[in-house]
Amino acid sequence: MATKTEKLILALPKGRILGEVMPLLAHVGIEPEAAFNDPKSRLLRFETSVPDVDIIRVRAFDVATFVAFGAAHFGVAGSDVIMEFDYPELYAPIDLGIGACRLAVAAPQSVVAVDDPARWSHVRVATKYPNMTERYFARRGVQAECIKLNGAIELAPSLGLCRRIVDLVSTGSTLKANGLVEIETIAEISSRLVVNRAALKTRATEMTGWIDRFRDAAQEARDVA
Amino acid sequence: MTDSSENRALLPAGLHDLLPPRAAQEAATISGIMDAFRACGYEQVKPPLVEFESTLVGNGTNGGGSLAGQMFRMMDPVSQRMMAVRADITLQVARIAEARLHDEPRPLRLSYAGQILRVRGNQLRPERQFAQVGLELVGAEDVSADVEVVALAAEALVAAGVQRPTVDLNSPALVANILEQLDLDEATSNDLRAALDRKDEDATGEILRSNGIAFSDAAKALCALIETVGPADEVIAELKEISLSAGARAEVERLSEVVAGLHAALPNLGLTLDPVEYRGFEYHTGVSFTLFAEGVRGELGRGGRYITGAGEAATGVSLYMDSILRALPAPIPGDRLFLPYGTPFQDGATFRDAGWTTVAAMTSEGDVGAEAIRLGCSHLLVDGVPAKADGSDT
Repeated sequence: MATKTEKLILALPKGRILGEVMPLLAHVGIEPEAAFNDPKSRLLRFETSVPDVDIIRVRAFDVATFVAFGAAHFGVAGSDVIMEFDYPELYAPIDLGIGACRLAVAAPQSVVAVDDPARWSHVRVATKYPNMTERYFARRGVQAECIKLNGAIELAPSLGLCRRIVDLVSTGSTLKANGLVEIETIAEISSRLVVNRAALKTRATEMTGWIDRFRDAAQEARDVA
Repeated sequence: MTDSSENRALLPAGLHDLLPPRAAQEAATISGIMDAFRACGYEQVKPPLVEFESTLVGNGTNGGGSLAGQMFRMMDPVSQRMMAVRADITLQVARIAEARLHDEPRPLRLSYAGQILRVRGNQLRPERQFAQVGLELVGAEDVSADVEVVALAAEALVAAGVQRPTVDLNSPALVANILEQLDLDEATSNDLRAALDRKDEDATGEILRSNGIAFSDAAKALCALIETVGPADEVIAELKEISLSAGARAEVERLSEVVAGLHAALPNLGLTLDPVEYRGFEYHTGVSFTLFAEGVRGELGRGGRYITGAGEAATGVSLYMDSILRALPAPIPGDRLFLPYGTPFQDGATFRDAGWTTVAAMTSEGDVGAEAIRLGCSHLLVDGVPAKADGSDT
C-alpha cells in the first residue's frame, strides 16, 4: 500500500468491566504499556505490544459513541449502551461473555404491593437509559416520563423523585439495601465487541482478523467456564 | 416578532451556509462528476424540487415508502393537494424514465445533480439539506450494467480527488432469499434482521435456536454468512463453500461475476463484500453497493439494482456531496491578479482568458501592493505585467 495507514484505536470502558476485559486482551495478544495499569498516570491513550493498535480508556457510555463516530475503530461496550444509543454505524459481532447483568424495572415494596401494571397509562421513571425505557414501556402501551440520572438511581424513589427506576442489576444487593424490589427484566446484558462500520469496510483484512481473534478468545473463556 | 436576543447568524439545525472556498469546491466537484458521467453517455435530467406527495412517496416497492417520514410537506394553495420536498432524487429520475421517456431506446442512461431536503439528519450526517449527484441505468439486466455503474462511481470519486475509495458490494436479495426459506413470523423475522444488521452472531444463533430451526440448511447458511465479510475474493470463495438453495446460489454467482468484471475494469480498486448488509437496501433486488473512503466516517454514496414502477430492471448510484467534500482536502487557492485603479476592463480580459482570476481596485488611494495583499491577491499588474504582490521575484 502506497501511504501509511493510521493506527487502529481500541476503546475500553473504565471501571468494573475493565478487569474482565484484560484476560481477553491478553488472549488476543494485545498487551498495554505499563502506564495503563498505573493509577497515577494521567494518560488517556496508551500504546500496546501491537505496533499499530492503541488503546483509549473512556467511560462505558462513551465507548459506543467513540466507535460509532469512527474516532475509535473497535471497542468493548455493554449491550445496554449499544441498545440505548442504537447507533446504525455500530456492529456488535461478538458476545464476550463478560459483564453479565440485566436491565430491570424496580420499585419500593410498598408500591409493588398495591400496584396493578395493567392499569398504567403513564409512569415516571428515573433512569440512565431513557431511550430503552421509553421503548420498553411504549411497547406495552404505556407512556414513560423519564428523569435522566447519571448515578445513584436507587435513591430516587425513597426521596420522592419518582416511584420507579430502570437500572442495571447484577446481584440485586444494591436494590435490597435501598428497599427496592425488582419487578420486570427489560433485557439481559453482556459486553460485546463493537466495530465501526466504515472501519470494517475500508480496513477489512485487519478488522476481520481482530474479530476472529476476539471470537476465539470469547469461545475459549466460555469453554473454560 | 423577532426576539432581540436572537442571533441573526443562527440557522435551523442541519442547515448551513457554504462559504468560500468550499462553495466553489462543491460546484467544481459536482461538475467534474457530471462530466465523467456524461462522457459515458449519461444525459442529465433536472426534476423539480417539489412534487405531489403521492408521486414522491411512490408505491412502497421502490424505496419511496422508506423516505416518507423524511419529507417536508406543504399544501399547494393552487391545486389544494399535498406537496412534498424531495428527500431523494432517485425516485424522480425513475419516474421520468417510466412516465416521460418510456419510448426512448433502452438501456436508458440518465444523470442528475441537485439539492435534497430531509426532515432529520442522523449522527453521521447531521445535514438536512445536501447535494445528491447520481445516475440511473434503466432497462439493462446484464452483469455489465452492474459493473459499469460501480466502476463509473468509483472513477468519479477518484477524479473528484477522494483518496483510495473502496466499494463494499452487498446482496440484499441473498439474505432475503434465505429468510424466506426459514419461513418465520414477522416479529421473529424483524428481530433476526436487527441482529443481522448489528452482525450480532450470538443473537442470531440465539433466535434461530429458540425457534428450533438452528439445524436447517438455511439457518446454517445464515450463521456462516454473518462471518463472511472482507476482501471480495476471499468472501466469494467462502460463499461458494456454503450450502445454499438454487436461488441464493444464483445471487452468489452474480456477485462473483460482478467482482470479476470490476477487477478487469479497475484492477486497483479496493473491493470488499458483505452479503448480510441490508439497511437502506430494502427495495433493492440484486447486487448493491456502498462507497467508503479510508479515514472518512460514514458512506460517500450507495446504489444498486432495483425494479422500476413499470417493471423494468434498473441500477444506479447516488453520491452524497456533503460526505465527499469532507473526504477532500481544502482547495489550494489559485493565483489572483490585482488590477490597479483605472485599468481598462479589456486589459484584464487578456489575463482572464489566460486563466487568471482578476480583482479590480475600487480606489486609487493607498499603496497598491498593500491593497493587493489586503484583498488576497498573489499578483499585481505593474506596467502591464503581473508581478508578485509581496514584491518578491516572480
